[in-house]
Order: sequence, then C-alpha cells, then structure tokens
Amino acid sequence: MRLSSLGFSLGSMNAMMEQQSALAKLQNQVALGTRVSTPADDPIASVHILELQRAQSESEQFAKNSTLAQNRLSLEEQSMVDVGNVLTRVRELVVQAGNVGTLSNNDRASIATELAARLDELHDVANRQDGNGEYLFSGYSTKTRPFTGGDGTPISYIADQGSRQLAISTTQRVADSHNGFEVFVNIPEGNGTFATAVNMANTGSGAIDVGSVVNRANWVPDDYTITFTAPNTYQVTDGATPANVVSTGTYTPGSSVQFNGVSVTITGAPAAGDTFTVNQSRSEDIFTTIGDVVSMLRAPAGNAVANAKLASSLQGSLQQLDQATDHFLGVRAEIGVRLSTLDSTDATREAMDIDLAASLSDLRDLDYAQALTKMNQQLVGLQAAQLSYTKISGLSLFNYLS
Amino acid sequence: MADLLNTSISGLLAFQRALDTTSHNITNANTVGYSRQIAQFTTRQPQFIGGNWQGSGADVSSINRAYDNFLSSQSRSASSGFKQSETYATQAERVSNLFGNSTTGLTASMQQFVNSMQSVADTPNSIAARQTLLSQGQSLVDRLKSYDSSLRSFDAQVNASLGSEADAISSIAKGIAELNNQIKVGYSQTGSAPNDLLDQRDRLIDELATHVNVSVVKANDNSVNVFIGNGQPLVVGADAATMVATADPYEPTRKRLSMQSSVGTIDITNSLNGGTLGGVLQFRNEMLDPARNAIGRLSVALTDVMNEQHNAGMDLNGNLGGDFFSVGGVEVRANLNNAGNAGATVTRSDVGALTTSDYELVSTAGGWSMRRTDTGANVPMTGAGTAGNPFVADGLSIVVSGTPTTGDRLLIRPTAGAVNTMRMLVTNPADVAAAAPIAASATAGNNGNATITAGTVLNASDPALRTSATITFISPTQYQISGNPATFTYTPGADIDANGWRVQISGTPAAGDSFTVRDNSNGTGDNRNALLMSGLMSEGVLNNGTTSLSSAIGQFVGDVGVKTNQAQVTRDAQKVVATESQEAMQSVSGVNLDEEAANLLRYQQAYMAISQMIRVADTMFQSVLDAVR
Repeated sequence: MRLSSLGFSLGSMNAMMEQQSALAKLQNQVALGTRVSTPADDPIASVHILELQRAQSESEQFAKNSTLAQNRLSLEEQSMVDVGNVLTRVRELVVQAGNVGTLSNNDRASIATELAARLDELHDVANRQDGNGEYLFSGYSTKTRPFTGGDGTPISYIADQGSRQLAISTTQRVADSHNGFEVFVNIPEGNGTFATAVNMANTGSGAIDVGSVVNRANWVPDDYTITFTAPNTYQVTDGATPANVVSTGTYTPGSSVQFNGVSVTITGAPAAGDTFTVNQSRSEDIFTTIGDVVSMLRAPAGNAVANAKLASSLQGSLQQLDQATDHFLGVRAEIGVRLSTLDSTDATREAMDIDLAASLSDLRDLDYAQALTKMNQQLVGLQAAQLSYTKISGLSLFNYLS
Repeated sequence: MADLLNTSISGLLAFQRALDTTSHNITNANTVGYSRQIAQFTTRQPQFIGGNWQGSGADVSSINRAYDNFLSSQSRSASSGFKQSETYATQAERVSNLFGNSTTGLTASMQQFVNSMQSVADTPNSIAARQTLLSQGQSLVDRLKSYDSSLRSFDAQVNASLGSEADAISSIAKGIAELNNQIKVGYSQTGSAPNDLLDQRDRLIDELATHVNVSVVKANDNSVNVFIGNGQPLVVGADAATMVATADPYEPTRKRLSMQSSVGTIDITNSLNGGTLGGVLQFRNEMLDPARNAIGRLSVALTDVMNEQHNAGMDLNGNLGGDFFSVGGVEVRANLNNAGNAGATVTRSDVGALTTSDYELVSTAGGWSMRRTDTGANVPMTGAGTAGNPFVADGLSIVVSGTPTTGDRLLIRPTAGAVNTMRMLVTNPADVAAAAPIAASATAGNNGNATITAGTVLNASDPALRTSATITFISPTQYQISGNPATFTYTPGADIDANGWRVQISGTPAAGDSFTVRDNSNGTGDNRNALLMSGLMSEGVLNNGTTSLSSAIGQFVGDVGVKTNQAQVTRDAQKVVATESQEAMQSVSGVNLDEEAANLLRYQQAYMAISQMIRVADTMFQSVLDAVR
C-alpha cells in the first residue's frame, strides 16, 4: 500500500499518544492503589463496591448499637444483683420473724424497721438511673421516675410497659432493658396457681399453710372461700354470685382440705364463722409483699389468735418472696440470653466484616504485580515506538540527493 | 532541425511543469486535506513529413489530483461517527466521575443518614444524637442538590455548545457555498479542474462532518449540495442556510437547533446525528435528562417515605411528627405555540409508579392523550381530568384547566424540579419524631397470662389515635374495644386494629382481663418510630414497591457507569474505523516524499537529457553551417 508521509507521522503520533494515555491510566491506578476509580471503569464492580461500603458502614453502626445494648444490659444486670442481695436479707429477716412464739413485739418492731429500710433500698434500685439520667426501669418514659410513693406510703408503678429495642443486625433486634412492670410488679402471686390467706377478722386461732396443687387438671381458676360453719365443719365455696358449694368436710386440726385438685392444711382452732381464702394467683409487686410484712410485724401480737394470723401471713409472704426471687432470676436469665445473643451476633458480624473487607479488596484494589507488569510492557512498547519512529522518519531519499 | 528543437522544447516545458507539480506536492506534504497532484504527459500531434508520421514531442495534458470520492465519503461518515461517540463519551465521563466517588457519594450519604437515625434510636433522649441526625439529613439534601446543580450546569453547557455548534456549522456552510461558486467559475473559464479549490472545499466538508453527519451530492456544474439530518439542505449551489440555536417551545432556556433558509425556520433537532453536535444531543437525551429525573425521583421517594413515617411518630414534646423533608412539585409547561389557554395541575399520587421520563399531554379531538417523551410510547390514562376525577397515569394525578385547542401541548416533568427546592423541614432536634404516639399495656392484676405488643401506627391522622382505649376480654375467647359495642373473637397473635393503631395479643387471657392502648406522650425514651425510619431505605418503594431507595441508588450509579463504559467502547471502536478510513484515503491522496524525490530525479534527468538534445541540434546546425562556409 502507498503510504503518505503525513499519514505515517500522524499514525505514529497517534499510536504513541494512545500508549501514553494507557500508561497515564496505569500510573493513576498504581498511585491510588485502586483498580476502579469511576463507575465507567467497571460498572458492575463499582455498584458492588458501593453496596459493600454501605454494608461496612451499616455494620459499624450495628457494632455501636450492640455495644450500647451491652452496656445497658450490664447496668441492668448489676441492678438485678443488688435486688437479689436485698431479697436475701429480706428473706432472712422474714424467717427470723417467723419465730412467732419466741419474739416480743419489740423484737418484731426492730425487724420491721430494718425491713422498711430494705424496702427503701429496693425502691431506690427500681428507680435507678443510667449515666444519662434516664431511668432504667421506666419503659419508654425514661424521664419519668417509675416508682412513686415510699417512706411508708404505697409504692406504685406509673411508667409504661414499653421495652426499647436496638437493631443489632439487619434482621435482629434486642431489647436493651426491662420495664419496671415486668421486673418488679408482674410477679405471680402465691405458688403461681393460687394464694392462701387468713381472714384478719377471724376470731379463732386457725392458721392456713400455703398449700399445694395435687392435680392440676382438676384446678378451676377461681377465688374460693373456706368457711367454718362450725369449729369442726367447713365448706368450700367458689366466687360466683350466689356462691356454689364446691366441697364440704369435717375439720381435724392438721388435716388437709382438698378440693378441685388443690390441697391446703389448716391448723389450730378456728371458730365458727372464720374464713380462709384460696384465691387464683394474680400478680403482686415486690414492694407490696415487703410492705405487708412490715405492717404485719408492726401490729402487736402475742395471743394465740393473732399469732395464728401472723404465722399464716408470714408463711404466705415467705412463699411470695421465693416466688419473687425466682422471678428476678428469670429476669436475670433473660438479660443473660440477650447478652449472649449480642455476643454471638458480634461474632457473626465480625466474621462478616472480614468477608466484606476481603470482597471489597478483591473488587476495588489493584493487583500491583499485574499492574506493574503491564506498566513495564507499556513502557517497552512506548520506547520501541519512539525509537522506531525516529529511525524510520529519518529515512528519506532526499538524504541521498546532492 | 527546427523539428528537433521544437520537440525538445516541448519536452523541456512539459518536464518543467511536472517538476513544478512535484515541488507543489513536496511543499504541501504536511498540508491537511491536500491531495497530491499528478502531471499527465501525452505525446504531441505527429506531423506527416516525407511520407512518414513524425513524432513531435510531449505535452502535459492535465494536472489531476489523486482523489477517491468513495474513500473520502467513507472517511467523512467515519469521522462523524467517531466525533459523536468521542463527544458523548467525554461528557458521560464527567457524569460518571461526578457519581463515582464512593466515600462522598450518594450511597455513603444515605447510609450515614440511616446510621445517625440508628443513633437516635439508641439514645432517643439525646439532643446530640438528634442534632447529628439533622446534620446528616442536611448533608444528604446538600449532596442531592449538588448533584442536581452539577447536572444543571452540564445542561447549561449543552445549551451553550449547541449555540457555538450552530455558528460553526453556519460559517462552514457559507465557506462551502462560496467555494462552490469559485469552482463553478474556475471550471467554466478554463475547462480544467481547479484542484486546490476542490481540496479546500473537501476540507471544509470534512470539517463539517466532524460537527454533524452530512450527505454530499455533486451537481452537474461541479458544485456540491450538502444535506444534514433527514435531507435538510444546508448548502445548495452558492446558497447556504443558517443554523441557529432556538428556544425550546416549552422552556426558553433550553436550546434546540433550527435551520433558517429562504423557505423559513425549521426545527431539525430530532433528525440531527453524528459529529460533535450529535454527541452533545445524544448526551442530553440519553444521559443528562434521565440522570436529572432519576435524582429527582430518588429525592421525591426519600421525602415521601420519610414524611409518611415521621408523621406517624411523636417528638420529644409529645407532638405528632411533621414533614421531615420537602421537595419541589411537578413542573407543567405549556407549549409556546398553543392556540388555547389550557393548563394543568399535576400532583404525584403514587411514588411507586413514578418513572424517570417526562410526559407530553396532547389535546386531541376526543380529549387529552399522554405520551412519554423518552420512548414516545402512549400512556393510557384513567379518569376525566377534573378535580373530582383527575387523570391518573404513571403515579401522576392530572387536573386540566382552561380551554385547549386541538393540538395544544403541555409538558409534564414529574421529578426534574424536585431537588432544586428540596430542604429539611425539621430544624429543631426535639422535633424529630423518634417515638411512637401510642403505647399498649396490660392491666396489673390480669388473671390470664396474655401479653400485648407495644403497638404500631397504621393511620397517624385518625382523630382517635391517642385516645385511651381498653381491650376487655368478656370471656377467654371474646373481647370488646372501648367505644365499640361489637364483640370480637380472639385469635392469639392476630392483628387488632382500632383508632388508627394495631396491636397483637397472644397467650391465654382470662375473662375480665384488660389491656390499654393509650397516649405515649411521656415516652421520650421510645425509639420505635426511629427504628422504623432507619429501615426505610432498604424497603421497596420505587418501581411499584420492588426497588428500595438504596438499591435504586446502586442501579442509578450502575446505569451511569454502563452507559459511560459503552460510550467509551463505542468511541474506541469508532476511532479505529475513523483512523483506518483516514489512512485508506491518505494512501490514495497523501504525498509520499520518497515518491516525490524519485519523481524529482526522474524529471530532472529527463530535463537534462532534453537539454542535451538541444545541444545536439545546435551541433548539427553548426556542422551544416561549417560545410557551406
């Protein structure tokens, strides 16, 4: 083919310029260490890179959320430890007060004083705040002091039943606290099925124990009353109006009264007209439980009738305290489960972070060995082009004309 | 003797002209667009002397240029194609670079906004966290606006370059028309080709081809007619039309291209392709307009979902949340040429159905019809276009007004103007609605073990939303909701909807158990709404709920990348085609200096030989003279 001199020059120039721009691009990649610097370099990879970077940033936030949840749950766990310590002491005191016959009214009053102090301590724990001044046990209303009253007045829960959740992964959420209702208020009464009580207006010295469930299948939840029609006969009625008689029997001290699958034992000498209640289990807050013991111990006792009532009540309170201890252990277990969920999610997240970083590096980062090899090739190519151009363009027939 | 001299002199003259031509070639070896010239030798008319036809020397009959019409038109269309793809690729690269930065890009801004929303969910009472959220929201808005304003400035540059392209084309057309005239005169006066003028004209046409695709038809009088677009005559003989950048009938600042000639002014924008002009128009149609609309649609969708969820929340002061962002509305523009006074009020009724296209509403004899401007496809509308029963199509609700004349047109731009006026409406950190306005609780002392969920808001505008309501079980399987005498059957875990809220109760309730759903105005530590808001970006919103905002951003950036990448590949391919056709043409028309050097030697030697012949003639004549002396 004919070659025009201008065409040869322009063609060689173009070729060299292309080599140069390829080199410049490689140099840019090497300098930045990245393979993809604009979406056009590799559209699919660049979309993946955006998504991976987004996932990394999201993961960082989840890690922060998780740390925060961990801090709050640890704080709550510490509170539950404190609650447990208080309850242990309270139980000791109640057991001590249970020696009804040997204690004087003064002894009981001093036990009551310490119990009242313990009650205040528990109240303080329930109203505990975190470092930001937010109440730990007030649900969503973290600026509301959840338990009002105290100092002898009834303590009641005025916050809500919410429980704040934090996102710890795209799908998982974990609650960072319990509300006061769940922890301190909603404690099952009695043995969880029913609770017994002696009527404070009784004139006899009959006492009732906490009872037990003999056959759960026969239990019909209701509020039952055991009424002594005579000192040695009783009847059990349910809560309907008018009341239905569920069972009747002859009373022998120390023998059990059984009806609807439950069994309670009455001791002492009840008088005709005395009543005992076997109510279906509801819930009782821990403050009421302790508060009741305090007021019971402050009331004077000494005679057989009063002692019987006190003994029955203290036995019920002891059962209620055990119930509460179990309940608090349940809450602590839940905190533990949440913390371990956080741990395992953290582990998963960390593994995923490594994956993300590896994928990102695969997509975005430059393979230096490859790039530098390519760069060397380009350099050799450019040098060869330059050298050959000067050699060939120097060749001209005119050189030989003289 | 006389004949010998005459013959020699003819040779001297012929080779002088050949040497002149060679010198012309050598001198123009580096002139772009120059076609090498070749002196054609022919023998002179022989003389009949002494019964024989005696040769009488040589003449240069013509000087031709080495030129191939086919190759040059191929080269022109290749350079048109290359220039178009080069311009498009260059412009597209700018857009690609704009969205390319992954650390400051839209995805990163969006995720930072989501993260700061999570921080608010972590500590709903923290003013610092709320303030950070507002700053991140503002920077997200700023990011969207900066993209929009960059795209707007690209648009302004497109408009400016359309003006300069029009000027360049007009002035080249004028040059071609003048040369047409000179060439016609040159031919008619001498009967031979004015080679250098032809080269000049071809060069101008080549240059025109770098601006826009041309087709060239040669006329009988050796002038050429040049057509652009769909056969619009730019140059006819000695007359040239003028290209002007005219205002878009819908938008005065947007430029279109029209051809002005004796016939009138015709808008030929849609039929133009090739060259830098074609590249600029392609960039505007395929990249710029869709990108602006896509950014607009993202902003509209972000605003829509955020506002909806924020409205369903409660702020630190116990008030329901207001709107979080605001965006510009739908732009409606009437065509300047409309005869009637029709207008339209257009609102976005369904964000999920919005597209990235603009629409043209055309008044027909039977009413109005709508078509997409990107594909030209007709869009079916439901409704009657009245306030009570508006036209509904592609997520838009259209109410027409005024009196149209058949053929009147309205342009609807659903999202293009959204970002420009976008802003954050929440400025006080306490106004961030992180909490839910309602909270459910179980009554202390319930006999059953049933539990109630915290509750979600279905309809924030329900007037009874925050009114305390009690769900009371009249039996373990039936319940009533206060304020409603109806009795409902209890299914554990099923949705219970009332007063604009929804709760679920599960477990075993006892008769007489009750649950309360009430106002949550003390719930400053509640983060339910913030959690919901932080999940919005990954929820399906666009394309009828199939595409989340974050994947829409990915798609958008990917789309820009793919288009730019394609443009680059096309450019590289076209460059090869253009270079090859250029080389093919050069191989015919270009000057090769070695060839010219050889010619120079050849003609010089011939010239010297002929000079020798004159000496021989002289010697012969002297011998005759000497003989008779």
